[in-house]
Amino acid sequence: MTLDWSIVWESRYALAEGAKLTVMLTVITMLIAIPAGIVLAVMRLSKSRVLSTSSMCFVEFFRNLPLLLVVYWAFYVMPVFMGIEFSAFTTGLVALSLNVSAYNSETFRAGINSIRKGQTEAAIALGMSRGEAMRKIVIPQAWRRVLPVLASTWVSLFKDTSLVSVIAVGELAHVAMQIRSQTFRVLEMLTAMAVIYWLMGYPQAKLVDWIRKKYEVKE
Amino acid sequence: MSADDPMLTSHQRRGADLPPVVVYEEVRKLFGDFVALDGVSIQVNQGEVMCLIGPSGSGKSTLLRCTNALEVVSSGRVIFEGKPLPSNETEARKIRQRMGMVFQNFELFPHKSTLDNVAIGPITVLGMKEGDARARAMKLLDKVGLTDKAGSFPSSLSGGQQQRVAIARALAMEPDVMLFDEPTSALDPETIGEVLNVMKQLAEEGMTMIVVTHEMTFARRVANWVVVFDHGKVVEQGPPEQIFDAPTCDRTRDFLGHLGWNG
Amino acid sequence: MELDFSPLLDSWGYLLGGLGITVLLAVLTVLCSIVLGMALSIGRIYGSAWLRIPIVFYIDTQRAIPVFVVLVWIYFAVPILTGWNFHPFWAALVALTLNASAYAAEIVRAGIESIRPGQVRAGLALGMSRAQIVRQVLLPQALVRMLPSFGSLLTHTIKDTAIAAVIAVPELMKRAETVVGQSYRPIEVFTTIMFVYFIILYPGSRLIERLYQRVAHLGRS
Ligand SMILES: Nc1ncnc2c1ncn2[C@@H]1O[C@H](COP(=O)(O)OP(=O)(O)O)[C@@H](O)[C@H]1O
Ligand SMILES: [Mg+2]
Repeated sequence: MTLDWSIVWESRYALAEGAKLTVMLTVITMLIAIPAGIVLAVMRLSKSRVLSTSSMCFVEFFRNLPLLLVVYWAFYVMPVFMGIEFSAFTTGLVALSLNVSAYNSETFRAGINSIRKGQTEAAIALGMSRGEAMRKIVIPQAWRRVLPVLASTWVSLFKDTSLVSVIAVGELAHVAMQIRSQTFRVLEMLTAMAVIYWLMGYPQAKLVDWIRKKYEVKE
Repeated sequence: MSADDPMLTSHQRRGADLPPVVVYEEVRKLFGDFVALDGVSIQVNQGEVMCLIGPSGSGKSTLLRCTNALEVVSSGRVIFEGKPLPSNETEARKIRQRMGMVFQNFELFPHKSTLDNVAIGPITVLGMKEGDARARAMKLLDKVGLTDKAGSFPSSLSGGQQQRVAIARALAMEPDVMLFDEPTSALDPETIGEVLNVMKQLAEEGMTMIVVTHEMTFARRVANWVVVFDHGKVVEQGPPEQIFDAPTCDRTRDFLGHLGWNG
Repeated sequence: MELDFSPLLDSWGYLLGGLGITVLLAVLTVLCSIVLGMALSIGRIYGSAWLRIPIVFYIDTQRAIPVFVVLVWIYFAVPILTGWNFHPFWAALVALTLNASAYAAEIVRAGIESIRPGQVRAGLALGMSRAQIVRQVLLPQALVRMLPSFGSLLTHTIKDTAIAAVIAVPELMKRAETVVGQSYRPIEVFTTIMFVYFIILYPGSRLIERLYQRVAHLGRS
């Protein structure tokens, strides 16, 4: 067995491009999935039966599916329904957003539910206005619950972006797998891919731990 | 020998003619910089019921835990049946087998039936056969009046019943001394009596007992020796008549006053 | 647009077999990772620093890299490194277990640490050894408390098994792809398969919650 690690160095620009796309996918998906999650959570908690049921169906459906299947589904089904071709990137983005929005919705719902009505009433009884009660009492408490979960979801999302490589979105996993099959430097490229993911993911995982510790809810 | 035999309690300390069971010599215990026990010297005689009273945080639980080596003293010595407590864990385990401990929160094992909670010590620690251990457990459940609950799980028992099982569990090891850490503090008022009755019965059988409690009536009626703690120190000790009727120390008076004790 | 579900009717036995492999792979993965996770977490809680540091590093590494990456590395790179060739199913089992055991270890640790210290003291006061306390007092209670988390680990793992399609493990996802390749009916096939996964995963989570409610008292000290 002869190993030739120079391939990794030679592919550095392609790999960096891939890593950049991985980060972009993560960031843009989150930017879509946070507002979408809030909307879904508010719908779920609304008095309207139609809104709350449709939100529940959406959320439970996408939470209970393998992401890879959602990716394929978006790839094959979306163009047929919409009548236009989407880029692989957009398709991947849609699949990830459907998935993460469903998770975020549950996170926000738990956050909103965690605040007991008594807290608002107590704040108003102290002479705060409704707005002040919201800003100073309700949101900070909900935030403490929501942020650590969002942070974990973020790391999961970062890792899950590797799955859109199956529809040739040129993110890190796809780039590395491509170079692997073109050069046959399988061990080197796959190891490089693992190391790059590790370098990016490890600090994130540690950050999540730190956030969880800092915001741990003690009751 | 009755626990409230005035001849014994007022004239001569119980067990004074026998070698003491536990002796604390200048025991200090530090948690970091915090002094939890600050030079405690007391002794517990054979067959004695010693009550430790004092405000919360004064070090009573810490002293109990130093007694069966759950905590290691920072300086001074705890002497059990003539020998200082060993510092190595294997030896300490042997000592713990001869002391029973009862906790404020019962600490029954929730995944075991009442009977198995009582039998677990003899089985795992003494290596007794399961059948023999269960037979012993059954006798002890009878003693605490809970034979009908042998198959129940702790979650279905009242607090008082759980604590009686916990006492039976400790007795199953046939200990030489029983340590009670506020055994009735977590109980509903209506179940306190049943636990105190079991303890009183044990005392009457001559069990050596160290009891941390806020039940002053129990201390007054059952203990033959009362030790008042404050800030990790013994502020006063003596027979209950002295402590409750004629305390010599202001801090004892303050403490009893806070509890609403008026003699 | 006309829908044609006949490819599904023609190959339902084939797909059902795939579902069987999916479930088998997921169940084996969860069982292996519970055992491995238990060992890891006990080493982490009670072990010396020599044991603890590598374990923490391993767990955090598995939390940091995608299952996909572990999977392709095990399947494509390990044979180059060792000369062993194994069936994709075993590669998938190993890769999924490596990943899931890190999560299982976190679950077990949280379970053990959630049991209040009085339980350990009660064991010690009876004269039990540390090992006896872990085995007889802590683990049985912790296992009950962990049940809901193990349930989510199972549903999570069932979802992850789909990734094994990438290395051609003939589980449900892979077989669906095959049927699509032969029939050119992606919409019908993938949509149906979606509902199959949903029908397994959704009640699965509910069932475990129900079961837990039954036994929860055994873990409540
Ligand atoms: N493990 C520990 N670490 C630090 N401080 C402790 C520990 N255990 C007890 N203490 C402190 O020691 C003091 C005495 O505690 P304790 O013996 O429980 O008091 P008591 O039982 O009389 O209420 C308290 O201030 C408590 O906070
Ligand atoms: Mg105490």
